[in-house]
Amino acid sequence: MTGTRTLIRLIVRRDRVPLLVWIAISAVLPAGIASSTTALYADQAARDSFAAASMTNPAQLATRGPIYDASVGGLTAWTLGSSLALIGGLISVLVMIRHTRGEEETGRRELLSSGVIGRHAPLAAALAVVLAANLLLGLLAVPALAADGLPVGSSLLFGLSIAAGGWAFAAVAAVTAQLTASSGTARGIAIAAGGLLFALRSLADAGGIGWLAWLSPFGWVRLTRPYAGDQWWVLGLVAVFVIALAAAAFALSTRRDVAGGLVPARPGPATGALSGSFGLAARLHRGTLAGFAIGFGLMGALLGVAARGLDAQLDTPQFRELAATVGGADAHLSDVFFTFVMYVLSQLVAAAALVSALRARGEEAAGRAELLLSTPVGRLRWGLSHLMFALAGPALLLAALGAAAGLTYDGDLARVTAATLAYLPAVWTVVGIATLLFGVLPRLATAVSWTVLGLFLLVDLLAEFRLAGGFVLELSPFVHVPAMLLGDASSPVVPLLGLTVVAGALAAAGLAFLRRRDLAPSA
Amino acid sequence: MNTAVRADALVKAFGQTRALDGLDLTVKTGEVHGFLGPNGAGKTTTIRILLGQMRADGGRVGLLGGDPWKDATELHRRLAYVPGDVTLWPSLTGGEVIDLLGRVRGGLDPRRRAELLERFELDPRKKCRTYSKGNRQKVALVAAFASDVELLVLDEPTSGLDPLMETLFNECVLHEKRNGRTVLLSSHILSEVEALCDRVSIIRAGRTVESGSLADLRHLTRTSVRAELIGPAPGLAALPGVHDLAVDGDRLRCQVDGDALTPVLAELARVGVRTLTTQPPTLEELFLRHYEGATR
Repeated sequence: MTGTRTLIRLIVRRDRVPLLVWIAISAVLPAGIASSTTALYADQAARDSFAAASMTNPAQLATRGPIYDASVGGLTAWTLGSSLALIGGLISVLVMIRHTRGEEETGRRELLSSGVIGRHAPLAAALAVVLAANLLLGLLAVPALAADGLPVGSSLLFGLSIAAGGWAFAAVAAVTAQLTASSGTARGIAIAAGGLLFALRSLADAGGIGWLAWLSPFGWVRLTRPYAGDQWWVLGLVAVFVIALAAAAFALSTRRDVAGGLVPARPGPATGALSGSFGLAARLHRGTLAGFAIGFGLMGALLGVAARGLDAQLDTPQFRELAATVGGADAHLSDVFFTFVMYVLSQLVAAAALVSALRARGEEAAGRAELLLSTPVGRLRWGLSHLMFALAGPALLLAALGAAAGLTYDGDLARVTAATLAYLPAVWTVVGIATLLFGVLPRLATAVSWTVLGLFLLVDLLAEFRLAGGFVLELSPFVHVPAMLLGDASSPVVPLLGLTVVAGALAAAGLAFLRRRDLAPSA
Repeated sequence: MNTAVRADALVKAFGQTRALDGLDLTVKTGEVHGFLGPNGAGKTTTIRILLGQMRADGGRVGLLGGDPWKDATELHRRLAYVPGDVTLWPSLTGGEVIDLLGRVRGGLDPRRRAELLERFELDPRKKCRTYSKGNRQKVALVAAFASDVELLVLDEPTSGLDPLMETLFNECVLHEKRNGRTVLLSSHILSEVEALCDRVSIIRAGRTVESGSLADLRHLTRTSVRAELIGPAPGLAALPGVHDLAVDGDRLRCQVDGDALTPVLAELARVGVRTLTTQPPTLEELFLRHYEGATR
């Protein structure tokens, strides 16, 4: 463990800005939601009717779980419990892998390990920083919640529950970082595990199989029931989970070499058949795309199964009312449910598409583009070969999602697939924005692209709490997608064509700038 | 056409820093040209401009009779490049990368590929993720040497190779030269340039300070003289062109300007000489002279 403190300082120094932004936003958000809940639902009757409506909406159950108590605190914990665990978990995974396997892969670890740094110090330092950051954001949320008039004890439990989500996935990432020599694979396994555990909780709450929620950290962070009976002991489950996985990670790390994986690297072919820029791009994108396609397919299948029995379950006055406002009086209730869930999932598809769209920039930053572009492969061909996968990829993912959902739901593949594919132009718009940024501001493209996607999600959240509306809402491309399953009255062609034209123009401009600028490797 | 590369008064600025500040470079067709300079002198920036990956802010540049920015794709059919810091696709094997680069350059000679792999002792079945810096460099070198191109642009190509492999690299470059190819070799390893290059250009802080054949440049420096004398030679210190004179009993060491050699030898002969060694200047000495106090 020698040198852990030095490494902690190094991590904090390198990531101080993103860590601070993450902690600040996560700490401020709960109190913000609490006060807007107070403003929106002034009395208990209003909160009760909102809670009753939400509890009958399986999309809400799937994404947020049940509402345990219709108080201001209970509603705040319900609104944010799952999403903050998801965000905190994702950031924790990214930071953990970056400072463990990522450091080994780039060879920087070797330089440090030759100094007075203990064998376990890098893992210990990364865990310490991530666990502390999560704890800090959880604790910082408490005073503001208390200032909103919420009970201090329950607020503390809520803060710790938020932190617990990040803790659990920091521990998961600590283990996956030991498994393979590639940081991309380690990240992928950790995120896939997170997706599976989230799906498990969704199925538990939306499908009425409550006990399943006890198997997932996403279940635990809600089962602590802050403001609704305060079950402190559930935090113990999280602690056991984190300690067990961390111990496993330390044990695994003693059994491998620096930069080596537990799964040994196998020799590959001595000759290659990659035909050029497109062949190479296909090779670089295929693994990620295949993984995402399987993931979205599974999610779709799960969704279809869950939706099957919904029509009877959904048939409550509140949900009828909701369905009528979004889809008209004769809308099929489970179609309304699908529409809600697809809206959320399409943004996940956009995140996957962003990974593909930013790969070209990754190649450039790493210096690999320099080698390839010294051959007769031109800028345009190179840019296009990656863009092609960023455009075709989301089509594949949305089709997999829709086809699997259609198959397990009512067997009407075409109808459901058409509804998911309607989101393609909106996803393409996100890809177009990333491509434009890649052409104009290569060094900032990755960070700004993710921020833009984050802002689109934020706009949705703010709109839900009526903190934003009008033209701000119109800025998000997802808002413009017609709800195909509900037979949106207006023609779907105009908005879809419009978004496609916008996406095409953005991407074309990005490629044009790419041809005119200097290459910008990060070194 | 007998000029492969021609750059006149190149200027390239990154923000406040002027990476290139009026750089000139001429490489004749069929020669091995050494491109020398300390780290940060602007070698890689020049090469990136020659490859059309960056555009110069000022000056003129020509490559194989074309404009490296406008005609990049066409010109790249005729050249192969080995970057100074080779990064490869971690999930591909070395063999796959060599074949990919060969194929996009218009094919590579399979016999030469096999021969180079064996001589460089490179296992092409390993994933690039597992290669050391030297092995990644070998992958790029094998792909370049096995390609059928007119011009090789090599940016500090031996920085990760061991001495045995460096010797092998030198043989490969001479082999390319015999086949009539032009080689632009950037380096700060002087022995490598001395052994291989017909002509060299020395740059410092983005500017060419010297250019010519090694013979041309030698006159600019001093010959080092060591001698064991029979008697004392008090007159030596007073002669013009004698520097760093050190006398230890009957042994003597000094540096002598090229045109001052005759009077110095006459003086030594007058006193009487037991042993005498003179050495031509090495490139190290050329370098030291140019970079003495020139750090900025």
